Amino acid sequence: MTTRRRSTALIGDDNTVVAGGKTVTWRTLHKLPQLPSPAAVLVDNGADALAAVRHHAVHGTELLVATTSRVDLSLREELAASGFAIVIAKGDEHSVEPAKLKRVEESGRAWLLTSGSTGRPTRIGHTLESLTTVTNRQQPRTWLLPYSPGTYAWWQVVTISLTQADQGLVVIEPSELETWPLIAAEHGVTAASGTPTFWRQTIYRDAEALTKVPLQQITLGGEPVDQTILDRLRDLFPQARISWIYASSEVGASIVVHDGFAGFPKAWLDRDRGDEHPVLSVEGDELVITSPHHGAGLDGAVRTGDRVEFVGDRVLITGRLDTDEINVGGSKVSAGVVRNVLMAHPGVAWARVFARKAPLVGRMVAAEVVTNPDLGPITDEDLVQWCSNRLPDYGVPRRIKFLAEIPQKETLKSDV
Amino acid sequence: MAELTREQIRDLMGAVMKAQGKTLPGDDSADLREIGFRSLDFSELALRVEDELGDELNFDAPGLRQIAKVGDVLDFIEQLQSA
Repeated sequence: MTTRRRSTALIGDDNTVVAGGKTVTWRTLHKLPQLPSPAAVLVDNGADALAAVRHHAVHGTELLVATTSRVDLSLREELAASGFAIVIAKGDEHSVEPAKLKRVEESGRAWLLTSGSTGRPTRIGHTLESLTTVTNRQQPRTWLLPYSPGTYAWWQVVTISLTQADQGLVVIEPSELETWPLIAAEHGVTAASGTPTFWRQTIYRDAEALTKVPLQQITLGGEPVDQTILDRLRDLFPQARISWIYASSEVGASIVVHDGFAGFPKAWLDRDRGDEHPVLSVEGDELVITSPHHGAGLDGAVRTGDRVEFVGDRVLITGRLDTDEINVGGSKVSAGVVRNVLMAHPGVAWARVFARKAPLVGRMVAAEVVTNPDLGPITDEDLVQWCSNRLPDYGVPRRIKFLAEIPQKETLKSDV
Repeated sequence: MAELTREQIRDLMGAVMKAQGKTLPGDDSADLREIGFRSLDFSELALRVEDELGDELNFDAPGLRQIAKVGDVLDFIEQLQSA
């Protein structure tokens, strides 16, 4: 592969980085010792992950960075057998477990682990260049960084700060997720990117605290984005630009929508705007993307595994193909569509819709729901009635379980 | 596995109908088609029973039979529990 280094990579070196209560810059972040290459750097906090990225940007060493919790023992052994030294980084201390295979490094290679929502995490090869998808000059911003280190979404925010001037970062550690609006308000965060689950949880916990964050840019991604969450954020932040992004480790950031509506215009399908832009198409009901931001070996059309539905002049992404379609006695319904109906109920803060094995019809639609406590008690009968007025019989969730709080994984997703 | 009584099963059947805005008549000989109890409702009842029992019912065990009346549903679920 090419060893060409992006000359703009460290333009953001003087940008502010707030992590673990300390305010530094990329330049003054603690330094890691010279890392072996290739190295899998496993971290427990955002500052160590950023230090690993800066090391990569300066030295061009082959790097995979991930949280310790995402890399279990067998994955660690797999990485060691693939030539990675395993580095456990903890501030100024670190330990190195040598690779079990000696091989030539791929200079400049940055590896990502897929989220593993469809199975075991797999490695996708990128470079700092392919991960830097925002290249046009941005207005000065301070970005929230709530994502788990090493994920594609995390790299997206990190590369903006590393490669552009005046793009500060405020790192949110997992232990700070419940109170992030307080930290964000204190440090003047003006741009934040999170999954719909992340935004729903934040609104559910303390919408008032959220409104004190001076957000000008709100971004959603990583999960299907429904109209209800876009509308709720618009109500809270009438002046902010609200965008949703379709991005994955495999095809990179491929769809960016700023018009405040769920889905993207049908007119965007099969539109060829040159090599710099992705081409979106639909085969059957699967989204297919040919992207310039793809991972190594994934050039050409990539079947995303995501299911789409056409609604008016929009293309909605409803969920994963293998789990989204529920066959109820021969009638098919999209779990994503049912979820959207549930979440449009004013008293519902979050919902997950899934198939449940049932006699006679094979599968039935079931749901888990978190209600908004401010709007009084809601019963399953209320929700069945709400859905019955908006969905065919077979699409109405027949078993609804109420959860006390919105579940969330390290990836900020909730398996919807 | 603990079993539900016929009365408990009837209560669950009533809850299924209530969620649909309907009422379960007290008479076991009531015709399912006439009261609007459909296959989706039967399936939901089975799930409610499973949730109460904390265990899956084995639908393969008893042979298929005609289920036309309220009493047939109750008999069938009772039989499933002991299968």
